[in-house]
Amino acid sequence: MDNMNIGRHISGQFNEDLERVINHVMQMGGLVEKQLSDALTSVCDANEDLAKKVLKSDESINELEVSIDDECTRIIAKRQPAAGDLRLIMAIVKTIADLERIGDEAQKIAQVALESLTKDHKELLLNLDNLGRRVLEYLQLTLDAFTRMDVDSAIKAHKTDDKIDREYEALMRQLMTYMMEDPRSIPQIMSVIWSARALERIGDRCQNICEYIIYFVKGKVVRHSSPE
Amino acid sequence: MISVSPKTILDSTTKIDLNNMSAEQKALDIKNLDLYYGDKQALQDITMSIPKGQVTAFIGPSGCGKSTLLRCINRMNDLVDHCRIEGEINLHGENIYNKHVDVAALRRKVGMVFQRPNPFPKSIYENVVYGLRIMGENNRRVLDEAVETALKSAALWNEVKDRLHDSALGLSGGQQQRLVIARAIAIKPEVLLLDEPTSALDPISTLTIEELINDLKKQFTVVIVTHNMQQAARVSDQTAFMYMGELIEYSDTNTLFTTPVKKKTEDYITGRYG
Repeated sequence: MDNMNIGRHISGQFNEDLERVINHVMQMGGLVEKQLSDALTSVCDANEDLAKKVLKSDESINELEVSIDDECTRIIAKRQPAAGDLRLIMAIVKTIADLERIGDEAQKIAQVALESLTKDHKELLLNLDNLGRRVLEYLQLTLDAFTRMDVDSAIKAHKTDDKIDREYEALMRQLMTYMMEDPRSIPQIMSVIWSARALERIGDRCQNICEYIIYFVKGKVVRHSSPE
Repeated sequence: MISVSPKTILDSTTKIDLNNMSAEQKALDIKNLDLYYGDKQALQDITMSIPKGQVTAFIGPSGCGKSTLLRCINRMNDLVDHCRIEGEINLHGENIYNKHVDVAALRRKVGMVFQRPNPFPKSIYENVVYGLRIMGENNRRVLDEAVETALKSAALWNEVKDRLHDSALGLSGGQQQRLVIARAIAIKPEVLLLDEPTSALDPISTLTIEELINDLKKQFTVVIVTHNMQQAARVSDQTAFMYMGELIEYSDTNTLFTTPVKKKTEDYITGRYG
C-alpha cells in the first residue's frame, strides 16, 4: 500500500477514506481468489456441497462491488481527487468490475461440478485442473501486484496471459479430439469447454487488472498495446 | 459520407505544444524573468509562453509568486516601491519593459480584473464607458453600442439592460464582478488578466464567471490566477504550477491534473504535505 502514497494528505479524513476503500478491494480480491480455488476443487473432486457454497458466496462479492463503487463515487463527489489519487480511484473502479466478473466465471465453473461428470472423465478434469491452477496462480500474482501497486510485478504477471491462452488452445484441441472419438460424450465435454472458457476469460480479466496497476503507477494507458 | 478518424473525434480541441509555439500562436512570451522586492527575490527565472485565444491558469500556494507574475504582465508592479525586474515579457515580439513603452497604452492592451469587484461609484453605463471616455470617445452612438456589446460579452446585459443608469453599487457581488469584466473588455484589450476573480463570490456566481471566461477566450487571451484548483481544472487550457517563486510545471491542464510530471505538483494538487 506504500506505493499508493495515501497517508500523506493534509486531510486525515481523506487518508482514512482511501485506506478503507483499498482494504475493501483487497478483501474482495481475497474472496474472489477463494471462490476460484473452491470452484476448481469442487469440479475436480466432484464435490457438490462445495460447488453450492461457491454459487452462494458470489452474493457477498457482488455486495462488496456495489459498496466499493459507492465509496468511490462518494470520494469523487467530496474530494475531487486529482493526479495519482484520481488514477487510483479509476483503477479501483475498473478493478472491482473485473473482480466481480471473475467471481461470476468461478460460479460458472462450480456449476459444472453439479452436472454429473463420471469417473470416465477423470482425464478431462485433470487437464482442466491444470489450467485452473495456472489461472489461480495468475490471479494471486495479480492481486499481489495490486496490493503493493508494484508495476514490475504487474508487467511480469501481464505476460502470463499468453501462456494461459496457449494452454487453453491446447486443451480445446484435445477436447475436440475426444468429441470426435466419442460423440456420446459431447454433453459432458461441452461443460468442460465452458469451464475452460471461463478460466481463459479470468486470465483476460487478470490482464486488465495488471493494466490498471500500470495506469495508476505510470499514468500510461497500456490497453491495446504492450505494457512496456 | 464524411469519414472522421477516431482521433479527430476524441481530440476536438487542437493541442498546442507549449515548448514549441510559432510566433502567431504566442500572445505573451516571458523570458528569464526575475523579480525582487528589495533584497527578496519573488520570481526566479520564469520562462514561459502563453498562447493566444486560450485560458492559462497560474496555481500554487500563497506567496508562490503567481499574482506577482500576473501583475508583471501589465506592469502593475511598477507601482510597488523597491521592486526590481529583470528579464523580458514580450507582447507581439516587443518587450513591455522597454524604456519607451507607454504604460497606459500597454494597460489598454492588457486589461485586469481583481479579486474584489471594484466598480466606480457611478452608473452601470458610465462604468462600462469609463475607459472609452478617457480615450476621448464621446460619440453617444458609439458608446451605447460599446456598452451593449461589452455587457453582452460579460453575460450581464439581460440583467441590467433596463437600469443602465442606476448606480453600479446596487448590483450584487457577482454582477459587480461581471460589470468590472465588461469595463475591462469595453476597450477591447488583447489580454485579460484575472486575479482570483471569483474568490469573493458565491458558488453560483462563480460558475457564471467561469462560463463567461470560457466565452471570453474566443475574443481575448485570458490569464487567470486562482486558489481554487478545481476552478483551474475547469476553466483553463493550460496550467502553470508555481512554488516559492519558481515555475515548477507548465503543461496542458488535462495532463497536469491527471499525470503531472513533478512530484511537487502532484503533492500540491492532491493536497499532500510538501
